[in-house]
Amino acid sequence: MPPEIVLRSILSASFIASVLRISTPIILPALGGLISDLAGVINIALEGGMLVSAFTGVVVSAYTRNVWIGLLAGLAAGILVSLLLGYFHLYLKADIILAGVAINIMASGATIFLLYVLTGDKGSSSTLLSGQVPNVNIPLVENVPWIGVVLSGHPLFTYLAFLLTWVVWVFLYRTRLGTHLRAVGENPDAAASVGINVLHTRFLAIGLSGFLAALGGLDLSMAYLTLFQREMTAGRGFIALAAVFLGGRTPGGTLLAALLFGFFDALATQIGSLKIPPQFVQMIPYAATIISLVVYSLRRQALANQRARRFREQHLSELAAQQGTND
Amino acid sequence: MNRVRFRSSIQDSPFLRDLLRVIVAILAALAIGFIVTLLVSDDPIAAYKAFLFGPVSRLNRFGDWIEEAISLTLIGLAVAIVFKAEQFSLGAEGQLVLGALVAGTIALFVPLPVYLRLPLALIGAMTIGFIWGLIPGYLKAYLSANEIVSTLMLNVIAIKLYEYFLTYYIKPPTAGFTSSAAFPVEGRLPGFIPPLPFLENIRLLFNQQTDISIALYIAIFATIVVYFLMYRMPFGYELRMIGINIKFAHYGGINTKLVIMLVMAVSGVLAALAGAHLALGIHHKLLLNVSLGLGFEGIVVSLMARNNPALVPLTSLFYGYLRAGADIMERNSDMSREMVLVIQGIIIILITAQGILPIVQKQISAFRDDNRVAPIGGSE
Repeated sequence: MPPEIVLRSILSASFIASVLRISTPIILPALGGLISDLAGVINIALEGGMLVSAFTGVVVSAYTRNVWIGLLAGLAAGILVSLLLGYFHLYLKADIILAGVAINIMASGATIFLLYVLTGDKGSSSTLLSGQVPNVNIPLVENVPWIGVVLSGHPLFTYLAFLLTWVVWVFLYRTRLGTHLRAVGENPDAAASVGINVLHTRFLAIGLSGFLAALGGLDLSMAYLTLFQREMTAGRGFIALAAVFLGGRTPGGTLLAALLFGFFDALATQIGSLKIPPQFVQMIPYAATIISLVVYSLRRQALANQRARRFREQHLSELAAQQGTND
Repeated sequence: MNRVRFRSSIQDSPFLRDLLRVIVAILAALAIGFIVTLLVSDDPIAAYKAFLFGPVSRLNRFGDWIEEAISLTLIGLAVAIVFKAEQFSLGAEGQLVLGALVAGTIALFVPLPVYLRLPLALIGAMTIGFIWGLIPGYLKAYLSANEIVSTLMLNVIAIKLYEYFLTYYIKPPTAGFTSSAAFPVEGRLPGFIPPLPFLENIRLLFNQQTDISIALYIAIFATIVVYFLMYRMPFGYELRMIGINIKFAHYGGINTKLVIMLVMAVSGVLAALAGAHLALGIHHKLLLNVSLGLGFEGIVVSLMARNNPALVPLTSLFYGYLRAGADIMERNSDMSREMVLVIQGIIIILITAQGILPIVQKQISAFRDDNRVAPIGGSE
């Protein structure tokens, strides 16, 4: 396939639509990762939370024959997983990274184990008749030629992902609680000294991140696919965490970073027929994350140096002024 | 009186407290595993028996256990050394994969006699491990880039590199699935029993039934080296100081940046050796899924050992036993081996929960105080 055709297919409406769909299960947990990271509690267990809620959603919807009950159960399971992490970290003083790793390992093991118990199959839940959260067709827009394919007909979660990016921004920067949350992450002692309950705020942040991760997991098993597969999150929880850092720890940046991951993922499958090995395309977002980590910390160092210099100059000029009055 | 002494010694000695916490965590996790088995299995006793006693029931299973313990020891040492310095590098997985890649490539393609080819393969693996550890080490030490994120990213890049080289260069064009050709004899680690006349029978038996290779001695040697490095050399003192209090270490004149970078690189060397062991000692070829999450299992092993390298082989033997037992249970009963992952997670979370023991202790002493009917000793 010559490059022009690849280029044309990248610009095609269906490709952009697939980028949106592939990015959805990264955007949602990434927003969760952002909230907990800003509160100073890095949530490594996004992956495990996604896996558990994806599994619970499928199983409950299959047994109750009701998609929405499945969805609610999946959300509840995801939140519970994150609260477990929060409880062990905040109240039993477990290291949050290790507790997160433990939860991921348990989630991976427990979902496969229960899948086998329920279906006799360790690979997927294809024998269960699980529900699908319906796609949303936007009236009028869906009939517009190019735009209709891009904007309409996506799973509910895709629209939620964009909406929640805005909601998270409002929450973090325009509400009291959001400000408290960021203060706790910035400097817990200072936050505590003005009467913010650090423990409660962090617990809430972890719970919210569990909720958002659960949405991402449910998108995978009840919209993107309509079954559960072992390890079906395939590292998306970690990618989400990377998107937080790549996006400079802001909601908008995180959204863009997650879309970038989705873009390269879609691209890797698209250019499979070209001479470029897909492995290299798949590597790009990870390498980009490392580079952005470096850029971010260089910028922070430069900023700190600048502040220090300004402080010193100010201090010196004050000293000089004092000496002037003394003389 | 006795009880008083017992209680206070538990409170005073960190070693006893750690030991108690580890034992309690393991027992609790095994008990939960048993309850799950009771609930799920049609023949829970047989299933749990296969789990608990399987690895010592036959020689080939014993071999599986020891092979598992060797990989776990090497990765556990890799994790212990970074965790001791309070650097949460999760990069063992990627270093392991690249170690396997380099060692396997040398074993396959470098036409040297065995006594040169194997050392070269091991040195090659160690070199790539050093480099793959140096990168996040440099990023952390000099650019203060979060090592958790950078190592997780580097893991994926390493796995993609491995897939790329395996698919495009190493896989024979005729092969049906993605794996290399089997290594020639010169590229395999020889059995661990030396070829001495009076050991001939037992050597043949072990070589037929197991893949326990000279990697056993590599793991033992690595344990000793890491222990001496950490507790008998300035570098180890510095890394432990950094782990305890990095600011204090810095004011004490330690070049903290250099030490952090080197700690991560040395850790990479050990993880890459584990990869070489998997490729040259067990699989005898390069498989697409060489590791299957072993990098993260190293965390359990190291945590149970409280990041003490001298204890890592013991905890590896224990945890390797659980893993080998789970495999046997899966083959001989209706239980699936993933149960051991749940047990593993419970062990980690209980060991790291510093707050559990004080709470339990408080409850026990409250319980004692409530139930004290008559004074037990005059002095209390």
